[in-house]
Amino acid sequence: MERLAPTTIATRRPPLVRIPTDWTGIVFAVLLSAAVIVPLLVVGVWAFTEVWRYPNVIPQQFGLRFWNQTLTRADVWAALTLSLQLSTVVTLLSAAICLPAAYAFARLSFPGRNVLFFSFLAGHAFPKFGLLIAIAAIFLQLNLIGTFWGVVLIQLVGTLLFMIWIPVAAFQSVDRRMEEAARDVGAGPFRVFWSITLPQAGPTIAAAVLLSFVGTFYETEGAWLIGAPGIRTMPVLMISFINNQMVIQYGAVLSVMLWVPSFIALMFARRVIGGGAFARGFGG
Amino acid sequence: MTDAAPAAPRPLIDSNDSRRPHGLLLVAIPVFLVAWLVIWPIINAIGRTLWRPDATGALGFNLNSYVFFFSDQYSINNLTITLWTTLVCAIVLLAICLPISLYLRFSHGKLPAYVQAMAIFPMFVPSIILAYAFIRVLGPNGMVDILLNSVGLPKIRTPYLTPWGPVIGLVWDNIPLTVLILLSGLGNVANQAIEAARDVGANRFQVFWHIILPRISNSVLVAISFAVLGIFSSFTLPYLLGPASPEMMGPFMNRTFREVNDPLNAITQAVITFCFCIAFGLFYVRSVARNQGK
Repeated sequence: MERLAPTTIATRRPPLVRIPTDWTGIVFAVLLSAAVIVPLLVVGVWAFTEVWRYPNVIPQQFGLRFWNQTLTRADVWAALTLSLQLSTVVTLLSAAICLPAAYAFARLSFPGRNVLFFSFLAGHAFPKFGLLIAIAAIFLQLNLIGTFWGVVLIQLVGTLLFMIWIPVAAFQSVDRRMEEAARDVGAGPFRVFWSITLPQAGPTIAAAVLLSFVGTFYETEGAWLIGAPGIRTMPVLMISFINNQMVIQYGAVLSVMLWVPSFIALMFARRVIGGGAFARGFGG
Repeated sequence: MTDAAPAAPRPLIDSNDSRRPHGLLLVAIPVFLVAWLVIWPIINAIGRTLWRPDATGALGFNLNSYVFFFSDQYSINNLTITLWTTLVCAIVLLAICLPISLYLRFSHGKLPAYVQAMAIFPMFVPSIILAYAFIRVLGPNGMVDILLNSVGLPKIRTPYLTPWGPVIGLVWDNIPLTVLILLSGLGNVANQAIEAARDVGANRFQVFWHIILPRISNSVLVAISFAVLGIFSSFTLPYLLGPASPEMMGPFMNRTFREVNDPLNAITQAVITFCFCIAFGLFYVRSVARNQGK
């Protein structure tokens, strides 16, 4: 029997996966690295560069001078504070209204449940900027253009789909038999939710909250269209740096700085995005 | 595995209790937001551009703003460049992502894992940082020029501020989702079907054309719909990387609304983008709904 075991494993593996040298993979890896990593590396180098004149392959002088200059700019601090405030308010509001809704969609049965569940797709079934223009026209009449709460509303709508659909999947994947077992031994509904449901659904919900925070932080188009001229978030400031700022390093320093939250999100959200569930959510 | 599949989903809460509409209360605020800030703006936009006061001030059916759009050469040029960009992006995206996904589906190990990580990576790069990186690499005197110059080759004709600028940026931005959607579709292709075809002598192309493609055609359409919806009215990348004239619909709407201060024509342009994307939007919703129903 012991001799037979390796061959049964070998035959079970499809012959397709046996490629001697994975040249295709090497070509893809090299091309994708060149297209994805190199541009970001160039930005990273620019952020720590003091002098880099054209024909030189590497900068003449490295240094942190522009970090100092960027971080002492009042507009950078104002934008950073505003962006953090906006993202916090939007994420908290979104969690407060979406998580109970997600629980209801996952566990309760009520009239119109399916239609309402899919209604959150509506915002993604239209070209986004066209929809923003239509919303801006309504905000114009309500005097919400250029206000903090106008931008909060527009970004809040942008988080709804993620903040409902991902937690719904999380609540649905909780083992119902464990909940029932807990109830059988006398736990109340709140105790069941706190000790059984939340620990199982918690990580996925945390990932959804994090995604919505980071997504809001980087949200550009709504903030640009609804917020201007009064509300200048970090990405909006970046646009003006790219368009009108002669000092190249400001943009590079901001890019590297802004990259940090995105990277944290990457780490935390891997478990949500790694699975095919994410692509299925997009209809794949 | 049979015990994992519940024979009949037994509701945790007594059924007579869960039939009560108090779930509606919990979902009321998000649903209200969607109704107020998605559904209503669209209805309002269509209504406001079709029923307008005419010269005498009487409210009535009025197509003037649409007539203006389609008779204005500048608007037509912007629409044309948008359609061109969307079409080119969709073709390039498929040409890049289909081979990557096919490779990832049929390989295992560290190298494919690295390829997949690279393909998904752009999802975590905000488009504003992408735009900045693009200018530093492909812009005038950017990294590519520096490297070409160092080996004695002439500079490239930079795609920055040409119609190819947004194409490159948007393709880069859309690779992760396209790969994920195609991979998820390829997950439904059974190994046995491919092996059977190979056993009767089909070559790689025949396997792809007759076995794989029919099974993933839906995923391909979903990936295209999603990309088209995102690209057609994209704003940030065309605004930062594209030419000033003709401009894509996103920057065009933005300028009409903010700089020309003409909400009516901006909404008209928005409704026209809705019309061009409606088929893709409906297809997208239908596919997602069908997937969720599984």
